[in-house]
Amino acid sequence: MSEARFRIKRFDPASDTAPRYDTFVVPYEGNLTVLEGLFSIQERQDGSLSFRYCCRAAVCGSCAMYINGRYRLACQTNVSQLPAGDVTVEPMPHLPLVRDLVCDMTDFFAKYEYIKPWLIRDEAHDPEREIPQSPKARRKLDMPIDCILCGCCYSSCPSVWGEENYLGPAALLKAYRFEVDSRDQARRERLPNFDNERGVYRCHTITNCMEACPKELNPTEGIQWLKGAAVRRRLFGRLK
Amino acid sequence: MSPVDAAATNVGAGNWKGLGMWAWLLFRIAGIVLVIYLFAHIGVISSARWSGHSTLNSALTLFDHPLFVLLDLLLVWAVLFHALNGVRILLMDFGLGIHRHKAVFVVCMAVAVVGLGFFALKAFSYIAAHHAGGLGGLV
Repeated sequence: MSEARFRIKRFDPASDTAPRYDTFVVPYEGNLTVLEGLFSIQERQDGSLSFRYCCRAAVCGSCAMYINGRYRLACQTNVSQLPAGDVTVEPMPHLPLVRDLVCDMTDFFAKYEYIKPWLIRDEAHDPEREIPQSPKARRKLDMPIDCILCGCCYSSCPSVWGEENYLGPAALLKAYRFEVDSRDQARRERLPNFDNERGVYRCHTITNCMEACPKELNPTEGIQWLKGAAVRRRLFGRLK
Repeated sequence: MSPVDAAATNVGAGNWKGLGMWAWLLFRIAGIVLVIYLFAHIGVISSARWSGHSTLNSALTLFDHPLFVLLDLLLVWAVLFHALNGVRILLMDFGLGIHRHKAVFVVCMAVAVVGLGFFALKAFSYIAAHHAGGLGGLV
């Protein structure tokens, strides 16, 4: 039987005046993920602990937290990876807080929706018919398609901290994912939504998003591609 | 954001581990230093115009002091850092070396250090040649 010490940042805006750290000792056998530790605390020690989770398999992006000073997904972080079983869990920095480890993602998803994260086609196509894509064209999507919208990059980006209307790395990576897709025919429809100072030009290649991403994606690369595409379209009117 | 909100939302926590973040911050600081220097430089040069050559001459005598020669080295570093990190950022804007931006930074800084070494040699030999006490003239 091993023990892990969880230090959790707690704050309930409804009743607390300042955040505090609560410490819980979680006994476990074999392996323990941070998310399992949080479950154990909630079930056996403090039912008021709030956190977000869903898939428990690093696919949904709900349980992104700031664990031992790094952006991680609680479900894919094993306590044995952390030094001496000491686990400090904090909500993602620089995001409005709902409670304890739960951040307010309203803006994040509003910005995500703003870049039209769906395939835009010229003609109304029959949903029964597939839209062919070559394996070579599909490979361009390999990186951006793995984004799980956890918000780590968005939380880590100084440009987001400084400008609340900046779309942020996650939304722009998603714009890249569709702009680079050979099946997408958005042409000028999506472009005005990111070709401005609240879009790609607000990125100063600080690369915190690359450091933060638990999926090891590269939002900077996507944003730089969008910058290039936007400039080419302005200069030469070239589409795609 | 109110102070309570700021404390609750972890503002300022971490995020200072990435090299890109430091490169960006120092890049901005060096840029501001250079802008301030530029205006100071224009001010000193134009002092000859509005208050006669003796003002400029006394300013130049002051700048000949070893302390100012060392400050020049700081200026050289600001120029080299800003210019070479600027090259790195340009490369990234062309989509080059984004995956390897840390290695590109190291290479750029190596070039900057070599450049600084060259100018440091110049500065110290100047001080040695023109000030009898060498760096001792500082105190």
